[in-house]
Amino acid sequence: MNNSALTFTPPRSVYVHVPFCKHRCGYCDFTVVENRLDLETSFLQAIETELSWLETPRPVDTVFIGGGTPTEMSPAGLTKLFELLGDWFPREQGGSASESSEFSVEANPDGLTAEKVAILHDHGVNRLSLGAQSFNNEKLQSLDRQHSAKDVANALQLARETFPQVSLDLIFAAPGESLASWREDLEAAIQSGVDHVSTYGLTFEKGTSFWSQMNHGTMVVVDESLQRDMYLLTIDLLTTAGFEHYEISNFARPGSAGNNRCRHNEVYWTGGSWFAIGPGASRFVDGTRSTNHRSTTAYLNRVLKGESPVAESEPLDAEMIARERLVFGLRRIEGINIAEFNEHAGFDLESLAGPAIQEFCELGLLEPSDGNLRLTRKGLLVSDSLWPDLL
Amino acid sequence: MAKKIPQKNIRNFCIVAHIDHGKSTLADRMLEVTGTVQKREMKAQLLDDMELERSRGITIKARSVAMRYKLKGQEYELNLIDTPGHVDFHYEVSRALICCEGALLLADAFQGVEAQTVANGYAAMEHDLKIVPVINKVDLVNARVDQVKEELEQTLAVDPDEVMPVSAKTGVGVEDLLQSIVANIPPPEGDPEATLQAMVFDSLYDAYRGAIIYVRIMNGTVKKGQKIKLLRKGTTHEVVELGQFAPKREAREELCAGQVGYLICNIKSLDDVHIGDTVSVIGNDAAEPLEGYQEPKRMVYCGLYPSDGQDFEELRDALTKLAINDPSFEFEPETSDALGFGFRCGFLGLLHMEIVQQRLEQEADVDLVQTAPNVTYEIVDQNGNVNEIHKPQDVPDSGKISEFRQPIVRVNMVQPEEYIGSVMKLCGERRGIHVRTEYLSPTRMMLTYDIPLAEVIYDLHDKLKSATRGYGTMDYELRGYEQADLVRMDILVNGKKVDALAIICNRADADRRGRSVVKKLKNEIDRHMFEVAVQAAIGTRVIARETVKAMRKNVTAKCYGGDISRKRKLWQKQKEGKKRMKSIGRVDIPQKAFMAVLDTGDDKGK
Repeated sequence: MNNSALTFTPPRSVYVHVPFCKHRCGYCDFTVVENRLDLETSFLQAIETELSWLETPRPVDTVFIGGGTPTEMSPAGLTKLFELLGDWFPREQGGSASESSEFSVEANPDGLTAEKVAILHDHGVNRLSLGAQSFNNEKLQSLDRQHSAKDVANALQLARETFPQVSLDLIFAAPGESLASWREDLEAAIQSGVDHVSTYGLTFEKGTSFWSQMNHGTMVVVDESLQRDMYLLTIDLLTTAGFEHYEISNFARPGSAGNNRCRHNEVYWTGGSWFAIGPGASRFVDGTRSTNHRSTTAYLNRVLKGESPVAESEPLDAEMIARERLVFGLRRIEGINIAEFNEHAGFDLESLAGPAIQEFCELGLLEPSDGNLRLTRKGLLVSDSLWPDLL
Repeated sequence: MAKKIPQKNIRNFCIVAHIDHGKSTLADRMLEVTGTVQKREMKAQLLDDMELERSRGITIKARSVAMRYKLKGQEYELNLIDTPGHVDFHYEVSRALICCEGALLLADAFQGVEAQTVANGYAAMEHDLKIVPVINKVDLVNARVDQVKEELEQTLAVDPDEVMPVSAKTGVGVEDLLQSIVANIPPPEGDPEATLQAMVFDSLYDAYRGAIIYVRIMNGTVKKGQKIKLLRKGTTHEVVELGQFAPKREAREELCAGQVGYLICNIKSLDDVHIGDTVSVIGNDAAEPLEGYQEPKRMVYCGLYPSDGQDFEELRDALTKLAINDPSFEFEPETSDALGFGFRCGFLGLLHMEIVQQRLEQEADVDLVQTAPNVTYEIVDQNGNVNEIHKPQDVPDSGKISEFRQPIVRVNMVQPEEYIGSVMKLCGERRGIHVRTEYLSPTRMMLTYDIPLAEVIYDLHDKLKSATRGYGTMDYELRGYEQADLVRMDILVNGKKVDALAIICNRADADRRGRSVVKKLKNEIDRHMFEVAVQAAIGTRVIARETVKAMRKNVTAKCYGGDISRKRKLWQKQKEGKKRMKSIGRVDIPQKAFMAVLDTGDDKGK
């Protein structure tokens, strides 16, 4: 089977990247511009231009506006952005995110004013992802965050009153963090009543201030075995509280309106395709992965000159698409459905990775379950060591 | 066409020196002063045309160059036969010596007499060559010419009045040196009218011309178009071209007794050309064969395996190509449970091994796994048969061994007096037996030890350098085989014996070596998803054990749209990395680990 035989269904999702931030946190290596709202007008112009290259409006089921801090934009700027997106990415309105279309926006607790929340709500945003990271002031400081525990509480209250779905981002293994302190964060998250939690161990990315502090020995990385305990505690506490652990870092509490998973992210993990707009944004369209220039100014310059903002582009062959689908599918806790995989991935699981899967099953890292293949708990903890053999 | 030079105006000589004493620079300068090479064509180390020789600043292959030199109305032909200086290439040195009547004995004005100055100086004397002593780098501010003269007198009985001071760098004294060569080195003997008798002292394979044979004409004359015979195999060939190196190949009509040059005879394979063979005429009137060279003995062996099993044939081609111009290197296929299909390769010494490996990597694009080098052992079985052992895996069970022997070398080490204590301690640790101590001058001494070669090959040279702040130099020659209390130590990874990691060591050292090797391996092996046990054992007895703990947590948290291709590439890269490792059971062992067994355990307590 080759690429030409593959048919790609048009994307039904879009990711939009908004690079503005009041402050770049010490661990952050995303496409971000610090304190440059002066670029807002050119940014909106560039977005408008990039959108116009779609030629026709593309109806979608999920929209995700991430950053940066999208809510850092001015009320007028936000309104303009939503109008543009509404024109080019029409979606079914009304109802909950699970029922009709999902419209997520990322926000930071500080600067999330009632005015902006209202703008979001008026334009159909039905899922807010709040970058709280912690409920503990000391830890927030050690993470170089600008907001306080109080800001988190206020933002949460506002968000919960307004949006049918609210998700919390939490970081564990912050410098100096103890298991007890992490337990308090988890308990606070459960108490807060949110429907969704995404949680990540702090990572040290090249080029960040944390990276150089780590290399100079001025910042100590939490030891692997404590990190492991923190992760296991996360799984245990959240699942006991009724959350479904549905992807390595993601937990959702099913409600009356559905399972509350992030539909948009599920598109990424199940081999789906999506559009992307904005600096540093990555898309997967017609079997090709491509990424816009990661420098915001370079992105703006290119688009405003009428040039393509794409900095990297990689067409994938059918086998690589199938392998990605296998690996990223297995990162979902329910794993992959073998029959469905064989039918849709264009490759038979056995021929693609039979011996490796066999070996991992023998080692107790993978297991078959009800027609699915999934990670065991043991496998989950060391899953990055499995992927090289499956790719 | 160059004018024919009478035999009495020919001088054949070589330069013998310790490495880095400026041999190649002196050769460069003589080429320039004699006008053999114009100044603008000059580049450093002109005679070293292998890229590796230039980059490492050493000479590996022998070669010759003919220079014309005018003195007092007479024209002379000076043939310089350049030779490698390193101990591993001893046999190349002796090949060159046979072709010469004289030798420039070169010593650095600051470094003075070093181990290889002595060794190569003796070799030249044993061949009855006229010695022209030269002190180089006299322009150095810290030159100590008088003391070096004394050292030369003390070690090699050189007459201090005969020593020629030069600076090969600036050219000072080079003209005088050329005159001294003419005056002191005797012209070659041999009758140009006699039956052809020429010594093959090297050969090179040229892709277009086939074998290029380097010869010194002992008797007779060889002409273009003439039929010749190589006496060893009795094969006959027609000389399609002959000539001299000046320094590029220059065709001549003939080469006469006493001259040095090359022959091209449409020989398609170097297998037909033996170094040390004699060239003569066809028919029944051929000359007597000259006394040839001793086949160089390969003292160090190691396994070379392609990282990727798919590259086996490529590796074979690369080795074959290398062996064509390096007859001292040999290889044969071998199989290892751990490493798959590869080759056991024999080298003259460690430097030779390193050079071959570098050339393989440079000239052929094959990623290699090398096993730890070992020396050639001898095992006498119960029936009194002596078997050579080239790899530890071949050592039989102890019940089948009546005697286990290892090669012993005599090592000469030259260093300033104040380091004698630390060098003696080093030799003691390496099971050396003291032979003698000599003063070269009031401040420099030469120590002589008999040491098992196995203790020498890996790092004795490095250790000597660090024990003497870089001043110590060494040279060694094989003495013979001696019985020793040796055992084979096996390494097991998760209970599985890894053949390529086995070593032979002294029984008394086994515990220390074992502990040190498993510790090193523990650090080389990445953590796996399960625990990995690394053990050292003699027979069935485990003497050391380390555990590589299982990985506790290895999971990427964040993975959204933009992360997918980045993560996938990272994991693909890790997959490539894993492919280059060798799997024993389910344990991935990095290539570097196969050298870990060389750890002698000296660093204990550090």
